[in-house]
Amino acid sequence: MKPFEYATALTVESARQLAGANGHYLAGGNDLLGRLKDDITEASRLVNIKAIPGLNRIEPGPQTWRIGALVTIAQIEDHPEIRRVFPGLHQAAAEVGSQQIRNVATLGGNLAQHSRCWYYRHRDIQCLKKRGRICYALEGDNRYHALFTGNVCISPVVSNLAIALTALDATAVVWRDGQERRMTMAELYELAWDNPTAHHSLRPGDLLLRVEIPTVRPRSAYLQISDKHSFDWALVSCAAAARIENGRIHNARIALGCVSPVPHQVTAANQFLEGKNLDEATADQVADLLLAGAQPQEHNAYKIPMARALIRRTLLQLRG
Amino acid sequence: MSEWPAQPKVLGTRVPRVDGPAKVTGQARYTSDVQLEGLLIGMILRSKWPAARILRINLDKARKMPGIKAAVAVQDGPRIVRYYGEELAAVAGVSRQACEDALRAIEIEAEPLPFVVREEDARKPDAPRVWEQAPNAPPPRVQETGNVDAAFAECAAVIEGFYTTAVQLHHPMETHGCTVLWNDEGITAWASTQGISSVRDGLAGALRVDQSKVRVITEHMGGGFGSKFGPGVEGILAARLAREAGAPVKLMLSRFEEALAVGNRPSSFQRIKLGAKADGTLHAFEYENYGTAGVGAGQATEGGGGGADLPMPYIYRVPNRRIKQTTVAINAGSARAFRAPGHPVASFGMESAMDDLAVKLGMDPLELRIKNDPSEIRQREYRIGAERFGWKEKYRKPGSSPGPVKVGVGVASATWGGGGSRRTQGEVQINPDGSVEVRLGVQDIGTGTRTVAAVVAAEVLGLKPEQITVKFGDTRFPPGPGSGGSVTSPSVAPTVFDACTRALEQLQKQTGVPDARGENWRAACKKLGVTPLVVQGQWREGLSSSGVGGVQFAEVAVDTETGLVTVKKIVVVQDCGLVVDPLTAESQVNGGVIMGIGFALYEERVMDWQTGVVLNPNYETYKLPGLADVPEIDIVLLNMPERGVIGLGEPVHIPTAAAIANAVANALGVRVPSLPITPRKVLAALGKIPAPKSSAA
Repeated sequence: MKPFEYATALTVESARQLAGANGHYLAGGNDLLGRLKDDITEASRLVNIKAIPGLNRIEPGPQTWRIGALVTIAQIEDHPEIRRVFPGLHQAAAEVGSQQIRNVATLGGNLAQHSRCWYYRHRDIQCLKKRGRICYALEGDNRYHALFTGNVCISPVVSNLAIALTALDATAVVWRDGQERRMTMAELYELAWDNPTAHHSLRPGDLLLRVEIPTVRPRSAYLQISDKHSFDWALVSCAAAARIENGRIHNARIALGCVSPVPHQVTAANQFLEGKNLDEATADQVADLLLAGAQPQEHNAYKIPMARALIRRTLLQLRG
Repeated sequence: MSEWPAQPKVLGTRVPRVDGPAKVTGQARYTSDVQLEGLLIGMILRSKWPAARILRINLDKARKMPGIKAAVAVQDGPRIVRYYGEELAAVAGVSRQACEDALRAIEIEAEPLPFVVREEDARKPDAPRVWEQAPNAPPPRVQETGNVDAAFAECAAVIEGFYTTAVQLHHPMETHGCTVLWNDEGITAWASTQGISSVRDGLAGALRVDQSKVRVITEHMGGGFGSKFGPGVEGILAARLAREAGAPVKLMLSRFEEALAVGNRPSSFQRIKLGAKADGTLHAFEYENYGTAGVGAGQATEGGGGGADLPMPYIYRVPNRRIKQTTVAINAGSARAFRAPGHPVASFGMESAMDDLAVKLGMDPLELRIKNDPSEIRQREYRIGAERFGWKEKYRKPGSSPGPVKVGVGVASATWGGGGSRRTQGEVQINPDGSVEVRLGVQDIGTGTRTVAAVVAAEVLGLKPEQITVKFGDTRFPPGPGSGGSVTSPSVAPTVFDACTRALEQLQKQTGVPDARGENWRAACKKLGVTPLVVQGQWREGLSSSGVGGVQFAEVAVDTETGLVTVKKIVVVQDCGLVVDPLTAESQVNGGVIMGIGFALYEERVMDWQTGVVLNPNYETYKLPGLADVPEIDIVLLNMPERGVIGLGEPVHIPTAAAIANAVANALGVRVPSLPITPRKVLAALGKIPAPKSSAA
């Protein structure tokens, strides 16, 4: 780990100023400190943002909930109203790391975390994502890697919350250039689709303030499969959200995690669901649409049948 | 034959660990807890090349870094390194940060060499050689008995299978390392070790110091599983740094380093052909196996074989058999003994083949075992376990469980020695105030051996275990064996019995109290006046024996859509002679089973063929079972006091993975022939995805 300065910001704008060109925002630190220790990330300055007022609030609303970037995963998991209004978000939070990690990890950190690709995370491998020449996962052990990508890097997005929030069609509110800028979840990650060195669309200095979640989808669900039963990354995750009236599904959104550098959604799949009865046949057709064009690598083809199962189970959970 | 009391008062009762309170309150002092005046931190520079010729190591800049007090090279002059992570040099400084900065300042001139890290690649004739003077894969050793080819023709059923296991890392909770003080009196090393004597001898030899000038202390340690016998390169480096710095040095490895250079269990690639007569009698066995022990292929290491050869056909007798085994060297860290070396791997291969054969014969796999297992003890254990587990009710034809989540059951068995070391010595000191101290130069590696000693002493002296102070883990005490081979309890218990029996006799003789035990104890001790009584004892016959069986039953649920395996229950039936303390014994069983679950479902060192590194040098992607992965573990200990004390640390780990693998095969109706059984492999076995091209991944 290289020496760095440490500063505590008391306002959003002072955080931005303090971060400068090569500063990093520090909240829970789960991802950032590990990267610093393993020499994956260098920082000239860490800017502690935990003291900025207002970023740690959960604010319910009839049309929209606001969840601050400093809210911990445990707070999301334990919030009884979130459990009722956004059950998929609750389920996604409950699957993050371990209890100790959830106690300190924040919403913002979970969304902005870097790839967990074991080539990227290895201190002595200079891979494409670290501005090296090649993606080692392409010819190497890619059991945890993506089925879809728009570039050469095949490391997938692994944020659980990103997948749940994509299904809920949340908006990320980011402080950029002195003002609030609103992004869909797709926009929050789209840069990683094209750019192998990107993990999300946030630029240096961008500060995630909160997410806003519309309440128009009262049904939501999140499921993941890991090698282990707890404290493990998802191999594939799936989230869905919708409104159900008279047994028919409306305004549905479904997303897959760990199969693409971005939360994987297919507009046609969402459209196909409109007005349908939720049954296995419908779910299988949605799976066809979501997985069309998947490009499995040597060791990750298992993600396709796994994703099919998760898509079906997640959608059927929406029936309640 | 046993001299143990026929009606014990303490032996066999559930005695909580005597050091439990110290451990849960943080009072117990582990190696990394040792604080000394002027203590420096030591850190190691490791090869970033999987193979290279090291031409020159320049430590000058590192030595001049702020806070750095010493820097040493592992070896002077040119040398060849053969794996990523091999030790090159080390520094000692006032902080971890200072050391990290100094390691970066070390200049290495090296020529990278070609390397190979996957077994199947290393076996190719044109593969880079790990050792230039020898092929990576030597010709197999062949053992042949009977007429194998003719015997297969006489069989009613023959199966062939290819069963593979991954390289498993020890990953003890406490990493390898030690704290070394080197002054005029010599070397004092607080080591995280399973063998204080072997660390002392290793340090004395490497540093050319009299053994009498080296003292090794291990008050508490957090597991070793076979990987912590000698001082290791890291221990010798710590001592050299302490000498150069003129200050004590603590050098504990990081979790990252644990994955590289301090041992592992070799992989296996087992091709098995097994045939039986129509009644299930095993008749013919043909076997080919290779595995890798890294750069140390085939070499046994201290404390047991770290080699890749397996005891086959394991617990069964097959009259006609041909066994071919070899190893294959790769550019990776060397294997070391690992909890029952060879046995869990052999058990997985053989017990898998047995179940596949049972399917072919149309037999209940438990019946096939009862038919062929020559061990009387295991015959008992099959009956007891089957009853307890409900085998008859639970066993169904393979794959016949309804629904997408299928349940299955499996059974597998173990054999182990577990006898004590005849050379164990000990002493007991009885103080005039009645307090008692038992001292042995062994170590409690976390298994509860201290408690075993306290129980035995309390039994002999008519006291309570908490009245006994047990001192272990110091080479100044009378010597005992390293903790390998499950020998510690059967070494310690007879020795403590002997010392305490002699001490009691001496006390009674000296004080004239005819029976000093129990309520007479304090009065008798008071008569000692001012001089404590110190009595030596040694291991003696008749209090321990060797040779245990062990049978485990597993029940699993397998999600055929996602591939996820859930272990629902394990029933363990295990003999270990006289059960000294059921609590510590059951704790051993729990640990062995949980480690077996890891071997079965999660654990695998992953090497990258392109860069030669270990890709999962952490607990994040080297997956160990957590609480949510641990099922109900139902333990039946067969108490056989007449056999005396026998070790059980290793046998209870052996059959778990094989039983789980058989249960998965029973659930699915197809076998997943490769450990760990991950969702990916389950889906592949079910034909839901194409099998991966490479057998190693």
